[in-house]
Amino acid sequence: MSPILEARNLSKWYGQVIAVNKVSFTTGAGVFGLLGPNGAGKSTLMKLITGQLRPSQGEITLLGERIWNNYPLFNRIGFCPEQDSFYERMTGGEFLAALLRMHGYSESEIAQRAQAALETVKLVEAGDKKIGGYSKGMRQRIKMAQAIAHDPEVLILDEPLGGMDPVARSETIRLVRDWGRQGKCVLVSSHILHEIEAMTRNIVLVHNGQILAEGDVHQIRDLIDKHPHNIYIRCSRPRQLAELLVAFPDVVGVRFHPDGDALTLESRKPDEFYDRLPEILLRNEIELEEITSPDDNLQAVFHYLVK
Amino acid sequence: MSANAKLAHGWRNINTIASLTLDTLFWSKKTLFVAAISVLVMLLSLVGRLIMTYRWIRAPFTSAEVFSSLMSTAVIHFLVVFVTLFYGTALISEEVEGKTLTYLFVRPIPKPTIMAGKYLALIWISSLLVIPTIFISYAILYIRTDIGPFLEDIGTLGKDIGIVFLALLAYGSLFSMLGAWLKHSILAGLVYAFGWEGLISYLPGFTRKLTITHYVQSIFPHENAGTAIAMMIGERSGLLESILTLILLTGLFLTTASLLLREKEYVLDQ
Amino acid sequence: MPIYDLGYRHWSGRRTSHPYRWWAITRRGVGMLAKNKRFLVLMILSGIPFLARSVMIYASTLTEKNIPMLRIDARFFEDFLSQQMQFFGLFVAVFAGAGLISNDLRANALQIYLSKPITRRDYLIGKLGILVFFLALPTLVPGLLLFLVAVLFKSNLEFLQEFYWVPGSIVAYSLVIMFSFALIMLAFSSLSRSSRFAGVNFIAIFFFSKILYGILSSILRSSRVAWISLGNNLTQVGDLLFGHDPRYLSPGWASILALALLGCGSVWIIHRRIRAVEVVS
Repeated sequence: MSPILEARNLSKWYGQVIAVNKVSFTTGAGVFGLLGPNGAGKSTLMKLITGQLRPSQGEITLLGERIWNNYPLFNRIGFCPEQDSFYERMTGGEFLAALLRMHGYSESEIAQRAQAALETVKLVEAGDKKIGGYSKGMRQRIKMAQAIAHDPEVLILDEPLGGMDPVARSETIRLVRDWGRQGKCVLVSSHILHEIEAMTRNIVLVHNGQILAEGDVHQIRDLIDKHPHNIYIRCSRPRQLAELLVAFPDVVGVRFHPDGDALTLESRKPDEFYDRLPEILLRNEIELEEITSPDDNLQAVFHYLVK
Repeated sequence: MSANAKLAHGWRNINTIASLTLDTLFWSKKTLFVAAISVLVMLLSLVGRLIMTYRWIRAPFTSAEVFSSLMSTAVIHFLVVFVTLFYGTALISEEVEGKTLTYLFVRPIPKPTIMAGKYLALIWISSLLVIPTIFISYAILYIRTDIGPFLEDIGTLGKDIGIVFLALLAYGSLFSMLGAWLKHSILAGLVYAFGWEGLISYLPGFTRKLTITHYVQSIFPHENAGTAIAMMIGERSGLLESILTLILLTGLFLTTASLLLREKEYVLDQ
Repeated sequence: MPIYDLGYRHWSGRRTSHPYRWWAITRRGVGMLAKNKRFLVLMILSGIPFLARSVMIYASTLTEKNIPMLRIDARFFEDFLSQQMQFFGLFVAVFAGAGLISNDLRANALQIYLSKPITRRDYLIGKLGILVFFLALPTLVPGLLLFLVAVLFKSNLEFLQEFYWVPGSIVAYSLVIMFSFALIMLAFSSLSRSSRFAGVNFIAIFFFSKILYGILSSILRSSRVAWISLGNNLTQVGDLLFGHDPRYLSPGWASILALALLGCGSVWIIHRRIRAVEVVS
C-alpha cells in the first residue's frame, strides 16, 4: 500500500496543553476510521491533516507533500468539517458553485459538478432553498456535497454522520464505502464505534492525543472482550436476581452494594446478557429500578487499553 | 501555466472571493443601517440647501461652506472611518466567528489571494456607500437652473472624491489588518478611530503624523475647514508626501494582513 | 420505584420566587465578563480619571488660590461623569453589551432561555442588569467615591454642608447614563447575530449624532438642535440634575423626551426581537 497520508511523530500543543502527542500513522487508498472519545484530539488531528493548523513538532504529508500553506494540494483534497456553519443566506446550489469556482472550473463545469454533488447527497430538490432553512440532516449533507463536488482523491470527514436520520446515515455509510472501493483515501472520524465499524475495518484509536491502537476493528473488539463488562443493577430483590444470573457462564463475578439494594455484575458477553435480562426480570417479578453500565462507552475501552 | 495564465487565474480567484464576500457581507440587512447614515448625510445637504433657498435664517452661508463642513466632519471624519471599520474588521473576523473560514482555507487558493479578494470587496462596498453620497450632496447644494454653479467647484469635488478614495484605501487596509490579527478587532478599531485619532489634537509635534487622518486632512482642498480641524492636524504635510504616505500605508497594512492570514492559525471555537 | 413507574419528577426543593429569576442571568453574565482579562484591563484604565481627579482634589486643598481647574464644586463632579460617559462608558457598553443578545441569537440560545420558566421580561432585565452593573463601575461608583474623597480631604464640614445634594445628583445622572446606554446597546445587540454590528452601530449613533448636531448648528447658527445628539442630551440632563444652566439653547424637556423616546424605542425593539423561534423564509 503506497502511503497517501503519513504522519511522523506529529505533535501539537497550545501553551501547556498537548492536543496531539507524537502521533505516527500511515493510510493509503480505502476507508480509515479515526476513533476516539470527545477531547481525544481527533479534530485537532483533522485540522493538522487539512492544513488549518501547523504542527508544533513532527511532520504530516498528504500525497507526498507537506500540507501547510500548500494550496495547490487542495485540488485533490475534500474536507467535511465538524462545525455546523454555513453562509446561511446562500442556497445549497449557490454555496457549492461559489466553492467550486475557487477550483478554477468553467461555469458550465461548475453547474455540472454542483448538480452531481447534490444528486449524490440527495439534495436536488433543496438545492435552490436557502441553507438557513435546512434541517440538521440536510446541513450535514450539503457539507458532504462541498467536500466531494470537485472529485478529490482524498476525503477527510470529521464526524460526518452527526445529526443525520437513520436513512441518511445508512446512505452516507454506503457512500463512504463506495468511495473507498473507488480507490480514494477516506479518513472518517467519530466517537461511536459501531458507526466506524459499519464503514471500515481499519481504525486508528486516539486517546489523550496519542494513538492507542491501530489496525483491524475486530482485533480491537477482541481486546475489549478480554475484559469483563461491569453492569450495575438496582432492583427489589438483588440476591434472588444474582442467583438466577450466575447460572449463565458469561457472568464471571457479582458484588453486592453495602445498601443491599444493588449489585454489580461482570459479564464477558454483555450483548447476550442484555438480551436475556428482561425475560428473567419479568418471569420472576423482580422490579428493576436502575440499570447502568460504567463500561458502556469508549472511555472504558481506552481505559482497558491503557492498562 | 504561463505567467499570463497565472495572472488571469489569480485575478479570477480574487474576483471569486470578492463576489462571495459581497454576497455574504454586503447584501444583508446590516448594510441598510450603514446606508441610512449615508442618506442622513445627504439629508443634511438638503437641509442646508432649503435654508439657503428660503432664507430661513438671516446669516448667509454658501454652498461651498456647507459642503466643506459636510466633507470635513461627516464624510472624512466619520463616514469613511465608520464604513471601513464596520466592513474591514468583518472581512476575516466574520468568517472566524461564523466558522466558515475553513471552507476558504481548504480551497486551492493562496491565502494572500483570499485577503486581496476580500479587500477588493471592501473597497467596492465602501466606495458605493460613500462616493455617491458626496456626489449627491454636492449636486443638492450646487444645482441651480443653469449648469454654471454646478461646474464652479467641480474640480474641488473631483479632489474630494479622490481624497476620500485614498482614505478608504488606507483605513480599509488598516481595519482589514486588525480584523485578520485580533479576535476583538472591532474594539481595537474603535479605540484607534475614536480614541487615538481623537486624542492627537492634544499631542505635540510629530505624533500627529502617526495617524491616517493627518495625511487625509493635509490634502483636504477646502480652505475654510475650520479651526477644529486645523488644531487637530497641526501643520499640514505636503501634497506628495501625504499621497505617497497614504499609498505606502495601504500597501504596508495590506501586506501585513496577507502575511497574518497566511501564517496565523485560526482556532475556530467548537 | 421501578423504572416502568418512573415518570417526570417534580423538584421537591425550594425554588426562587419568580420576581428574582432574572438574577440568575445577571449573576452568570457578570461572572463571565469578570473573568475576561481584557475587560478587567479596561475597567482598571477607567479608574485613571478618578485617580487624576482625586489628585486635583488633593491639590485644591494645598492652595488658597482660586484656580478654575481646581475648583471643587458640583460642576467638577458633573464634568467627571460626562467625560467618563464619553469614553469609558461607550467602550464598556460595547465590550460588555454588544454580544449580550447577539451571541444568544447566533448560538440559538434564546430557545433554551425561553424554554425555562422565565419570561422575556426576565431575560431582558437579566441582560440589562449585566450591562447596568458594569456601566456603574466607571460612572456611579467612582462618582460617589470622588465625592467621598472630596469630603475626606476637606478639613471642615463646609463642603458637605454646601454640596450635600451632590451625591443624589451623581446617582441620578449616573443612572440616566447607565440605563440610556444599556437600553440602546441591548437594542442594537438584539438586531443582529453579529456583536460587531451592534458595537459599531452603537458607537456610530453616538458620534454621528454629535456630528449631525455640529453641522446643523453651524448651518442654523444655533444650538437649539442639540437634542439631535445623544451625548448632548445626556449632558443637558446632567446640567439639569446638577442645577446648572443648560449649556445648549434647546429646552431641557426636549433632551429628556429624546432620551425617553430612545429608551422606549429600544425596549420595543428588544421585545420584538426576543423570541424563542425564528422563521427563515
